[in-house]
Amino acid sequence: MSVERHRAQEENVGAYLLSALTEIEERAFEKHLEDCPICQDEVDRLRPAVHALPRSIDPVNPPKALKTSLMATVKADAREAAEEARRHSMTRRLRERISGLNDALTGMRPGVAWVAASIVLLTGVLAGASGLYAISDVSSGDDRLQSETVAAKVDKTRVPNGSGSLVVPADARDGAVLRVHGLPTLENDSVYQVWLKRGSEVISQSTFTVGEDGEGAAAVTDNLESADAVMITRERAPRAKAPTENAILRVRL
Amino acid sequence: MNQKDDIQNLADEEMMHLVQEGNPRAFELLYDRHGGPAFSLAYRMVGDRVTAEDVSQEAFLSIWRSKARYQADRGSVRTWVLGIVHHRAIDALRRNLVHDKRRSSAEGIEERFEAKETTPGEAARREEARSVRSALEELPDEQTRVIELAYFGGFSHSQIADMLEMPIGTVKGRMRLGLDKLRRSLAGVAA
Repeated sequence: MSVERHRAQEENVGAYLLSALTEIEERAFEKHLEDCPICQDEVDRLRPAVHALPRSIDPVNPPKALKTSLMATVKADAREAAEEARRHSMTRRLRERISGLNDALTGMRPGVAWVAASIVLLTGVLAGASGLYAISDVSSGDDRLQSETVAAKVDKTRVPNGSGSLVVPADARDGAVLRVHGLPTLENDSVYQVWLKRGSEVISQSTFTVGEDGEGAAAVTDNLESADAVMITRERAPRAKAPTENAILRVRL
Repeated sequence: MNQKDDIQNLADEEMMHLVQEGNPRAFELLYDRHGGPAFSLAYRMVGDRVTAEDVSQEAFLSIWRSKARYQADRGSVRTWVLGIVHHRAIDALRRNLVHDKRRSSAEGIEERFEAKETTPGEAARREEARSVRSALEELPDEQTRVIELAYFGGFSHSQIADMLEMPIGTVKGRMRLGLDKLRRSLAGVAA
């Protein structure tokens, strides 16, 4: 590390701690910090002063609706996670049962084998209300050849004219196409970003922009099986690592 | 003692383990303990309650959904939560979500909505606020100004330099000097 480079970065310590550097400057400073014990010490020394700044504010009561809204979302997330775990468990048990059935059917006459298979599958269906969902990946027939369109729920407070739908192909492992209408065009440095929510994971899928007519489409590239929802947020280009706002549009699966 | 009481008595650090495991009750406790200061900071920065509510909600949901890792060696849970709120508020300010509303009246609006001193905790926070503000007031005005514009206003050093018509190097220097003096003042060390 050269002395010149250190001097150039050293003056940024205060601005860095106050979040007053641009993103590029911040990244450069953090890279410099990795190799500069002097600046590391200075950051550690001054950090308590920055941490004290929010304590200079007189308390303001948050609206009660904030907690109500937060807890409703959190509890819904927790229920979804529990339901997801239950579905996974049911699917796994059913797969094990079918695997055992395959072994047992070997050597049976065709008619007897069909009756035995039906009994086992019916048992799976009756195992719970969501059993049908759980065994959809092992069913067969014409229904698998058709796509399904699922309407999106839109936050009308932020995108009053927005609407959208997800076109899911017959095999959900192939991903899907999300179509939107009536979304506002964004600033040049922003994009719409598509996310797939699976349990506690939120996985980035793609980004897109809309034309003046508010129309747009984006690919959901991941396997939709066992996914909970597909969502859209507005993010800074080129893309965000994680959503920085609540979804403006959500398709529950 | 039931489970609810057990959670109520947890230290912040232990509570965060449960939040990261997806425990809604622990998350509620996190909000109960730190939601007030978080909203106060967001409100101070963005200047209107609706945006402050959005910022606070996004910050807390990001903690819940990303299962963000709290690192005890980087400061208290309160400091960590406020850091997340601060970044979200800066994002909101820099996206111009609040436009003219921003910091339109730190005082007038706060008077209407400020918390009443109904609990010992709120009274203590108010006293602490007075003490930190007193330390800030000891700084030269030009240092206080750049620090407040950066931290509460979400302005970058170059924006502050434009506003105050001074070189960027001067702005950066005043930020650093001001923080150093504030740290000394808070630590009770003569500057």
